[in-house]
Amino acid sequence: MPVAGLVICFIPEKLEEVKSSLSKVSGLEIHGWNDKGEMVVVYEGDTFEEMEKEVKEWPKKIEGVLSVNVAYFNVEDEVERIEKGEYVPERPWKE
Amino acid sequence: MKLSRRQFIKRTAALTAASLVGIELPKSMKDAAQAADVDSWKPGVCRFCGVGCRVYLGLKGGKPVAIKGIPESATNKGYVCMKGMLFYKIIHHPERLKKPLYRERKDQPFREISWEEALDIAAKKFAEAVKNHGPNSVAYYGSGQALTEETYIFQKVMRAGLRTNNVEGNPRLCMASAVGGYLTSFGADEPIGSYADIEKAYCFFIIGSNMAECHPVLFRRVMNRKLSKPDEVKVINADPRVSPTSRIADLHLQFRPGTDLALLNAMAYVIVEEGLYDETFIKKYCKFKLGKPPKDVSFEEYKEFLKQYTPERAAEICGGNITPEKIRTAARWFAKSKATMSLWTMGINQRVRGVWANNLIHNLHLLTGQLCKPGADSFSLTGQPNACGGVREGGGLCHILPAHRPVKIDKLRHEVEDLWGVPRGRIPAKPGYHTIAMFRAVNEGKIKAMWINCTSPAQSLPNCDFYRKGLRRDDVFIVVTDIFPTKTTEVANLVLPTAFHFEKTGVYGCTERRSQLTVKVIDPPGEAKPEVWIVREWALRLAKELNDPVIKKCVEPFIGLEEGYELPKAIWEEYSQKLTKGRDNDLSAVTYEVLKQRPDGVQWPAPTKEHALKGGTYKKFVRGIDPLADKHAKGDDPYVFYGPAHKDHKLYIWLRPYKGAAEEPDAEYPFFLSTGRVIDHWHTSSMTGRIPELLRANPYAYVEINPKDARRLGINPNDMVEIETRRGKIVLPAKVYEGPIEGMVFIYWHDMHEERMANRVTKDAFDPGSKEPEFKICACRIRKVSGPKPLRPYVVGHKM
Repeated sequence: MPVAGLVICFIPEKLEEVKSSLSKVSGLEIHGWNDKGEMVVVYEGDTFEEMEKEVKEWPKKIEGVLSVNVAYFNVEDEVERIEKGEYVPERPWKE
Repeated sequence: MKLSRRQFIKRTAALTAASLVGIELPKSMKDAAQAADVDSWKPGVCRFCGVGCRVYLGLKGGKPVAIKGIPESATNKGYVCMKGMLFYKIIHHPERLKKPLYRERKDQPFREISWEEALDIAAKKFAEAVKNHGPNSVAYYGSGQALTEETYIFQKVMRAGLRTNNVEGNPRLCMASAVGGYLTSFGADEPIGSYADIEKAYCFFIIGSNMAECHPVLFRRVMNRKLSKPDEVKVINADPRVSPTSRIADLHLQFRPGTDLALLNAMAYVIVEEGLYDETFIKKYCKFKLGKPPKDVSFEEYKEFLKQYTPERAAEICGGNITPEKIRTAARWFAKSKATMSLWTMGINQRVRGVWANNLIHNLHLLTGQLCKPGADSFSLTGQPNACGGVREGGGLCHILPAHRPVKIDKLRHEVEDLWGVPRGRIPAKPGYHTIAMFRAVNEGKIKAMWINCTSPAQSLPNCDFYRKGLRRDDVFIVVTDIFPTKTTEVANLVLPTAFHFEKTGVYGCTERRSQLTVKVIDPPGEAKPEVWIVREWALRLAKELNDPVIKKCVEPFIGLEEGYELPKAIWEEYSQKLTKGRDNDLSAVTYEVLKQRPDGVQWPAPTKEHALKGGTYKKFVRGIDPLADKHAKGDDPYVFYGPAHKDHKLYIWLRPYKGAAEEPDAEYPFFLSTGRVIDHWHTSSMTGRIPELLRANPYAYVEINPKDARRLGINPNDMVEIETRRGKIVLPAKVYEGPIEGMVFIYWHDMHEERMANRVTKDAFDPGSKEPEFKICACRIRKVSGPKPLRPYVVGHKM
């Protein structure tokens, strides 16, 4: 399961709305924020696909979120599974 | 309490993010940092766009498993974007090319061969072409993604070895107009300022760029600047399409495609009419120029010229939401702000008058003196990681030799021959074919052997069906060096597998004149090899085939060197220490040793080690900051414009009239067609299309249609729509969206599927100055062909 350390930029006046909306996202932990409108969150998902889809939605869906910025990303589980042959990166296309 | 591995990694993730924004986390969290999430973090630069984000690649058991931005880096300040995070999947991808592949005829299947055999064939075929058809029957077509060492060594062998200037690359398709603009306006290529100006700017003029999606890490900095002073900092976004970039704009100027020159001239009109210009700056540093060959004109004549572009007249030309008042507001914000920074990309460059469009942006900065001071710059953004460093600086285009030396200037050409130790006259005096001319020459059978490196022209050329005809000819021998099969390997005879990023060593030079080193930390898969090794071995064989010791001379200093580090290092040393010394992009003190000591590379000019170790030059032409400005200074002026193209050391304000697109809509083809990128993909998607997450997020191209047009044509979301131009037809699903202006449709160009491939319909008209094609505009007609249809994403693969 990939783990991402993110900085979310938000409009400071919307702090409560942003916190409340993000706290409903499963796999997400809020770790802190400042009055400039920057919030530190850790986000863990089952697959990167779901995470990415979700992350892209926040600025559109959550009033006050301006951008989601990636600081750290770890995929060691996935690489291990590839190495062990338990997971072959899917080829979603067939021609 | 003992932490689980997951908890530990999550704490590390939190701490890394918190450290970037100065948020204190509880002490219990910090203790987590004592342990190690990976075995080692290896520094390098991101591979995917022109921003030049500095990253650490985390290795565990020798495999890349994690990535993070480098906080001390002046480019990305610790952040990365989605594209950057995912290159571990490319490194591990099962479809990587691992063995040399060959076929005699293009209708045959490929067979695996040895490197020995592959290099022999490549040498024999190029030698045969030279012997039978002359040096100009061979060509090299490279890439803004190749390392500087690779571009440099390829062009050296082509020019001094094979005696042809047929050296081109895909930067011709994206930034040649920016080069033309910088040279004609400022006398020197590449931006004067840096990203560091973003945090000091009070007005951003973003035109023809969707930087929110194409340069997300840099856009974050623009956004942060805006948010830090929301009332003081103004953002103007000028674009025919509403994009995510428009979201933070105070003023969005939505104009009809191809009318940018009128808009820019009208802004200049307002600046002059309302007396918002900087008279001292103009008098001291500028001249007014007209025509070709250029002649001097007066400020009065320029004023007279601008009378054709009153805001009222321009608003009529521009259409869209443009009103005279909006033009006046934009011009006032631009001129009056404490510091204005313009940012643009392909919307300006990929135009039939792309150089002029660049000139007109520069004009606004010259008139207002919004240049050289902190926060003020006319800054062209690059699309590729090494279009600047490798191709613009390293000699990767048909008309320029390394370190900004035009081929046609005898003195400079001889300088290069002397530095290489080859006889004078060895490099031909005539520039080679530019990109479109080169592929036309392929069509005409004039090119007999071509080497395509790290790019896919079969998909990325405009009107690509036309050029694929030539590439498929059996009398044109094509070598492709790449990491994946592409549309171009489909027309190759010989496919050579290359090492990817972090699997080889070399330098990338990003948008802001910054050179950054990435050192090899993992082995390439199978038999894949770094390009520098391939070129050296090929050149040695060519020397034998052609019995020409000068070809051997080109690679002599590099014979026997270990390919992973020592070989690229020696090539970089020759290029930087010999070729750039004394030139405006002086990198002579920028050794691998210096680069390894810097968290984020060095910005040229950097003629001394002391200056290089401090990071080089943040701003060109400013005395006290740029050592070359101090060197060239004659009086007390704070700025010295010593660029090599303007001997008078002046900046030129150009009189450039409005000119529309090469192909405008008419009764038969009533719509504008424009192309561009989305956040998930990059270029021909041969890399990003292989990452399942990115491909699923945007599995196929679509066409954006304005809701008003859609209603009129009875098109609903996801209906299949045919786009027809004078070149051909493609069919894509519709996205009905308040994005493109009414009368314009927009498609993204990454999709490799034949039915949806954008460049099958784009036009190959090009700028007469820069030779850059007008990808951004042509005329089309559209019609609904059916309701929604399930589609399959596409990726190429070779059937062995």
